[in-house]
Amino acid sequence: MELGDRTVGFLLLIFSLSLFSYYTFWVVITPFVDSEHFIHLYFPAREFAIIIPVLAGVLLLSFVAIFIGVVILRSRKPKSKSG
Amino acid sequence: MKQVFKFGAVVGTLVALWIGLLLSPDLPQSFSLILPFLPVYALVALGCYGLGMVGYGLMVFPTCPHESILLQKDIDEAKAFLKEKGVDVAYQ
Repeated sequence: MELGDRTVGFLLLIFSLSLFSYYTFWVVITPFVDSEHFIHLYFPAREFAIIIPVLAGVLLLSFVAIFIGVVILRSRKPKSKSG
Repeated sequence: MKQVFKFGAVVGTLVALWIGLLLSPDLPQSFSLILPFLPVYALVALGCYGLGMVGYGLMVFPTCPHESILLQKDIDEAKAFLKEKGVDVAYQ
Protein backbone atom coordinates (compact mmCIF):
# COMPACT_ATOMS: atom_id res chain seq x y z
CA MET A 1 0.00 0.00 0.00
CA GLU A 2 2.86 2.37 0.83
CA LEU A 3 4.54 1.63 -2.45
CA GLY A 4 1.30 2.33 -4.30
CA ASP A 5 0.93 5.78 -2.76
CA ARG A 6 4.54 6.59 -3.54
CA THR A 7 4.16 5.44 -7.12
CA VAL A 8 1.01 7.49 -7.53
CA GLY A 9 2.81 10.56 -6.17
CA PHE A 10 5.75 10.00 -8.49
CA LEU A 11 3.43 9.58 -11.48
CA LEU A 12 1.52 12.75 -10.53
CA LEU A 13 4.77 14.70 -10.26
CA ILE A 14 6.05 13.39 -13.59
CA PHE A 15 2.70 14.07 -15.26
CA SER A 16 2.48 17.65 -14.01
CA LEU A 17 6.10 18.42 -14.91
CA SER A 18 5.73 17.01 -18.41
CA LEU A 19 2.41 18.80 -18.93
CA PHE A 20 3.94 22.07 -17.82
CA SER A 21 6.97 21.73 -20.06
CA TYR A 22 4.87 20.67 -23.05
CA TYR A 23 2.49 23.58 -22.56
CA THR A 24 5.35 26.04 -22.09
CA PHE A 25 7.01 24.77 -25.24
CA TRP A 26 3.74 24.96 -27.10
CA VAL A 27 2.75 28.46 -26.05
CA VAL A 28 6.05 30.28 -25.59
CA ILE A 29 8.54 28.67 -27.95
CA THR A 30 6.56 27.33 -30.92
CA PRO A 31 5.53 30.73 -32.39
CA PHE A 32 9.19 31.66 -32.80
CA VAL A 33 10.05 28.59 -34.87
CA ASP A 34 9.41 28.99 -38.59
CA SER A 35 6.27 27.34 -39.83
CA GLU A 36 8.12 24.91 -42.11
CA HIS A 37 9.97 23.28 -39.25
CA PHE A 38 9.10 19.66 -38.44
CA ILE A 39 8.49 20.50 -34.78
CA HIS A 40 5.07 21.86 -35.65
CA LEU A 41 3.96 18.31 -36.39
CA TYR A 42 4.02 17.56 -32.64
CA PHE A 43 1.79 20.44 -31.59
CA PRO A 44 -1.86 21.10 -32.47
CA ALA A 45 -3.00 24.48 -33.75
CA ARG A 46 -2.34 27.29 -31.31
CA GLU A 47 -6.02 28.07 -30.71
CA PHE A 48 -6.29 24.78 -28.87
CA ALA A 49 -3.80 26.08 -26.30
CA ILE A 50 -6.70 28.18 -25.02
CA ILE A 51 -9.65 25.97 -25.93
CA ILE A 52 -8.47 22.80 -24.19
CA PRO A 53 -7.59 24.34 -20.77
CA VAL A 54 -10.79 26.38 -20.70
CA LEU A 55 -12.86 23.33 -21.62
CA ALA A 56 -11.09 21.27 -18.97
CA GLY A 57 -11.67 23.99 -16.37
CA VAL A 58 -15.37 24.28 -17.22
CA LEU A 59 -15.78 20.50 -17.07
CA LEU A 60 -13.96 20.34 -13.73
CA LEU A 61 -15.99 23.18 -12.22
CA SER A 62 -19.29 21.72 -13.40
CA PHE A 63 -18.30 18.31 -12.07
CA VAL A 64 -17.48 19.84 -8.66
CA ALA A 65 -20.76 21.81 -8.66
CA ILE A 66 -22.81 18.74 -9.62
CA PHE A 67 -21.02 16.65 -6.99
CA ILE A 68 -21.71 19.24 -4.26
CA GLY A 69 -25.33 19.52 -5.38
CA VAL A 70 -25.81 15.74 -5.27
CA VAL A 71 -24.23 15.55 -1.81
CA ILE A 72 -26.44 18.36 -0.48
CA LEU A 73 -29.59 16.79 -1.96
CA ARG A 74 -28.73 13.39 -0.48
CA SER A 75 -28.01 14.80 2.97
CA ARG A 76 -31.28 16.72 2.98
CA LYS A 77 -33.61 13.85 2.09
CA PRO A 78 -33.67 12.05 5.46
CA LYS A 79 -34.30 15.32 7.28
CA SER A 80 -37.36 16.17 5.18
CA LYS A 81 -38.73 12.64 5.67
CA SER A 82 -38.38 12.72 9.44
CA GLY A 83 -39.44 16.33 9.84
CA MET B 1 -12.02 38.14 5.22
CA LYS B 2 -8.89 40.24 4.84
CA GLN B 3 -7.26 37.49 2.81
CA VAL B 4 -10.11 37.71 0.29
CA PHE B 5 -9.48 41.42 -0.24
CA LYS B 6 -5.74 40.83 -0.59
CA PHE B 7 -6.32 38.08 -3.12
CA GLY B 8 -8.83 40.20 -5.00
CA ALA B 9 -6.42 43.14 -5.08
CA VAL B 10 -3.63 40.97 -6.49
CA VAL B 11 -5.89 39.40 -9.12
CA GLY B 12 -7.40 42.77 -10.05
CA THR B 13 -3.96 44.30 -10.44
CA LEU B 14 -2.83 41.45 -12.66
CA VAL B 15 -5.97 41.68 -14.82
CA ALA B 16 -5.58 45.45 -15.14
CA LEU B 17 -1.94 45.03 -16.09
CA TRP B 18 -2.84 42.44 -18.70
CA ILE B 19 -5.59 44.58 -20.23
CA GLY B 20 -3.26 47.57 -20.25
CA LEU B 21 -0.64 45.51 -22.07
CA LEU B 22 -3.28 44.29 -24.54
CA LEU B 23 -4.35 47.86 -25.31
CA SER B 24 -0.90 49.37 -25.54
CA PRO B 25 -0.07 49.95 -29.21
CA ASP B 26 3.70 49.68 -29.47
CA LEU B 27 4.83 46.30 -28.25
CA PRO B 28 7.50 44.15 -29.81
CA GLN B 29 6.04 41.56 -32.12
CA SER B 30 7.49 38.65 -30.19
CA PHE B 31 5.72 39.77 -27.04
CA SER B 32 2.34 40.28 -28.68
CA LEU B 33 2.51 36.70 -29.95
CA ILE B 34 2.32 35.19 -26.49
CA LEU B 35 0.43 37.96 -24.69
CA PRO B 36 -3.13 36.65 -25.36
CA PHE B 37 -2.15 33.29 -23.89
CA LEU B 38 -0.85 34.61 -20.59
CA PRO B 39 -3.96 34.18 -18.35
CA VAL B 40 -4.58 30.63 -19.49
CA TYR B 41 -0.88 29.97 -19.21
CA ALA B 42 -0.93 31.24 -15.62
CA LEU B 43 -3.90 28.98 -14.85
CA VAL B 44 -2.17 25.96 -16.36
CA ALA B 45 1.03 26.75 -14.47
CA LEU B 46 -0.90 27.06 -11.21
CA GLY B 47 -2.69 23.77 -11.83
CA CYS B 48 0.56 22.02 -12.67
CA TYR B 49 2.16 23.45 -9.54
CA GLY B 50 -0.70 22.22 -7.36
CA LEU B 51 -0.72 18.77 -8.92
CA GLY B 52 3.04 18.52 -8.67
CA MET B 53 3.06 19.56 -5.03
CA VAL B 54 0.42 16.93 -4.24
CA GLY B 55 2.47 14.34 -6.07
CA TYR B 56 5.68 15.37 -4.35
CA GLY B 57 3.97 15.34 -0.94
CA LEU B 58 2.68 11.83 -1.64
CA MET B 59 6.11 10.76 -2.81
CA VAL B 60 8.11 11.92 0.19
CA PHE B 61 5.35 11.34 2.75
CA PRO B 62 7.30 10.32 5.86
CA THR B 63 6.27 7.02 7.37
CA CYS B 64 8.01 5.63 10.42
CA PRO B 65 6.80 2.07 11.11
CA HIS B 66 9.39 1.59 13.83
CA GLU B 67 8.04 4.59 15.75
CA SER B 68 4.51 3.25 15.37
CA ILE B 69 5.55 -0.05 16.97
CA LEU B 70 7.21 1.84 19.84
CA LEU B 71 4.09 3.96 20.30
CA GLN B 72 1.82 0.90 20.41
CA LYS B 73 4.14 -0.59 23.01
CA ASP B 74 3.96 2.58 25.09
CA ILE B 75 0.17 2.60 24.88
CA ASP B 76 -0.07 -1.02 26.01
CA GLU B 77 2.30 -0.31 28.87
CA ALA B 78 0.31 2.71 29.99
CA LYS B 79 -2.96 0.79 29.77
CA ALA B 80 -1.59 -2.03 31.89
CA PHE B 81 -0.25 0.45 34.42
CA LEU B 82 -3.56 2.30 34.67
CA LYS B 83 -5.53 -0.92 34.94
CA GLU B 84 -3.30 -1.95 37.81
CA LYS B 85 -4.18 1.30 39.58
CA GLY B 86 -7.87 0.76 38.98
CA VAL B 87 -8.48 3.34 36.25
CA ASP B 88 -10.75 2.22 33.45
CA VAL B 89 -9.32 3.19 30.06
CA ALA B 90 -11.44 0.97 27.84
CA TYR B 91 -11.44 3.52 25.05
CA GLN B 92 -11.40 1.88 21.67
